[in-house]
Amino acid sequence: MAEREPNVAEEESTVAEPRTIDHYLHTDRFPHIWCPGCGLGTVTAAFLRAALELGLEKERTVVVGGIGCSSRAVGYLDFGTVHSIHGRALAFATGIKMAHPEFTVIVLTGDGDGAAIGGNHLIHACRRNLDITTILFNNNVYGMTGGQASPQTGMGGIATTAPFGFDEPSFDLCRLAEAAGATYVARGTSYGVRQLQRLIRDGITHPGFSFIEAVTQCPTEYGKRNPPKGPVQMLENLKEKAIPRKKAEGMTPEELEGRIVTGLLHRDESVPELTASYARMLERVRGSADE
Amino acid sequence: MELWYTHLMRESIDQDSLLVQGNRACALGALDAGVRFFAGYPITPSSEIMEVMARELPAVGGVFMQMEDEIASICACIGASLTGEVSMTATSGPGFSLMQEAIGYAIMAEAPSVIVNVMRQGPSTGRPTTPSQGDVMQARWGTHGDHPAIVLAASNVADMYRLTIAAVRFAQRFRMPVILLADEIVGHMRESFSPEIAGRYRLTSGDFDFTETYTHPEMVREVHAPHELGTLIHPHVTGLIHDETGFPTNDPKKSEQFLRELHDKVVHHRDELCLYDVKNVGKGRVAVVAYGSCARSARAALKLAEQEGIPVEVLHLYTLFPLPVEIIQELARRVEFILIPELNLGQYAREVRRLAENWTTVVSMGRVDGNLITPRDIVDRLAELVGKYESS
Repeated sequence: MAEREPNVAEEESTVAEPRTIDHYLHTDRFPHIWCPGCGLGTVTAAFLRAALELGLEKERTVVVGGIGCSSRAVGYLDFGTVHSIHGRALAFATGIKMAHPEFTVIVLTGDGDGAAIGGNHLIHACRRNLDITTILFNNNVYGMTGGQASPQTGMGGIATTAPFGFDEPSFDLCRLAEAAGATYVARGTSYGVRQLQRLIRDGITHPGFSFIEAVTQCPTEYGKRNPPKGPVQMLENLKEKAIPRKKAEGMTPEELEGRIVTGLLHRDESVPELTASYARMLERVRGSADE
Repeated sequence: MELWYTHLMRESIDQDSLLVQGNRACALGALDAGVRFFAGYPITPSSEIMEVMARELPAVGGVFMQMEDEIASICACIGASLTGEVSMTATSGPGFSLMQEAIGYAIMAEAPSVIVNVMRQGPSTGRPTTPSQGDVMQARWGTHGDHPAIVLAASNVADMYRLTIAAVRFAQRFRMPVILLADEIVGHMRESFSPEIAGRYRLTSGDFDFTETYTHPEMVREVHAPHELGTLIHPHVTGLIHDETGFPTNDPKKSEQFLRELHDKVVHHRDELCLYDVKNVGKGRVAVVAYGSCARSARAALKLAEQEGIPVEVLHLYTLFPLPVEIIQELARRVEFILIPELNLGQYAREVRRLAENWTTVVSMGRVDGNLITPRDIVDRLAELVGKYESS
């Protein structure tokens, strides 16, 4: 009966319940812009569950996006959020983190935003080893603008700007990030959501630049032109192709062809984090000025 | 007020006769104005500004970043600004071109920042060590879409100091990027300077106190988005058209209102923003309107012309945009012609012409050979024009 549950009791029970990811969402901004079957929401939810696990404070967390489907996630998140310009999210985030090292700074970007137009900022952010966590949503295509080829489309992939098949090889984004100096590099998929959540969580706590590639599916713009068609088939494909790093270590390059190596791929805690070394420099300079 | 020039100059022998470079004066002005975040990329002829900032910001606990390019520089400045830091960058033509998209973002997101452009000859790589005023219209219209702009122009070393202070204050008060234009002559010349000298200037336009340096002046009421990141209100900042909540909107009425209010913010405060100086008011039948290094020549030409029997009025503009509409139209009503010397092919002359042509003739005096316009050049041109208009 309705009388059994007055408003007060309802409120109390709400407070007592464990928080859900709604805690970090502007649910009033829904429905979101993503298509049915899209993996971006899955990756965003993995990030939010990692945030819940860590208990990230909204006031001290800033999430920066660029432009594109994935970057639109920031518009639904209840942190300090910056929807910046195409490719430049990491440059904005660099300013924010350097000005306020106490903030937890997360960058959400896509394969076009992060690896094409923002590629230069990506490698320099890796090199600086500033304590920013970057989650790159890789769905192999420019979704928002209607299915054009991205650097991650892959040889032979069909896109509106590659109607006869794309002729260019892709980056191995994780190897790129590692070579550029990122001190935490990991890869997950929107199929392996628990693994992805764990990798993001560890990336956020890692004191240095963390790069997490989240391989995901765009059934609308990629799937409709490239096999396997359909969101379920694409997710199954991610499941089949994903292979944990440890298992992959014993395999030949031929055996690994077309596979997605997942898990923590690189971690180095010996490199100084930039805000910390900058603070030490300030101390040194100001100390000698006082003498 | 603690003046950083004293800290920087303490090793000098005689503080009354300090020779300071224009770019250096700009950096000192920035430090005195409270700039605590600088991100930049090396480019001639502006690099000295970032070199001084690299050296001095750590001493005041500020952040200096050398970024991977000018796009990253302005974006880092905007990022810092969104957290409440007072930020600035400095560049020259090619770098200024790269910054344009982000300048539009800062206008849209109402993020204050100062962009100094020490102009060199273009287009493209042009002549990197050669002065120019070729970026005037880029400073006004460089980023896409309808947008307001605040653009100042420095004519000497003292200007580099005090207009940097003005730029910081305008940026904070109006919550938008402010562009300070200098040129290679102003950036690289050395003059006797101290902040006291700079503060002593009085402008015709009124009581802008350049010695008053405070970093968080009262914001104008038209500002939409004063919330900083890292506060209890978790703001959403976007370059999309947005409403008062900060979130995007596609509502046609709200979109128009937002864009109009962005403009109103500047237009409604034109009197406050337009800094200028008039010499010989009402005494000349002809006038020179000038800015930057050409204004210096124009002021010197005033005396020379008088000696040669040509009484001339000189309007020296420190603010190029918003346009000083009333000032130019009043001037147009009282003179037979207006001469505009500038180191480009008549960019600002076109602006003045459309304001003044109902009342007077506007003559462009452009120079693009890489040399400056001397006082003698201006007087000779005035003499020619006086002859022409008197004979006609």
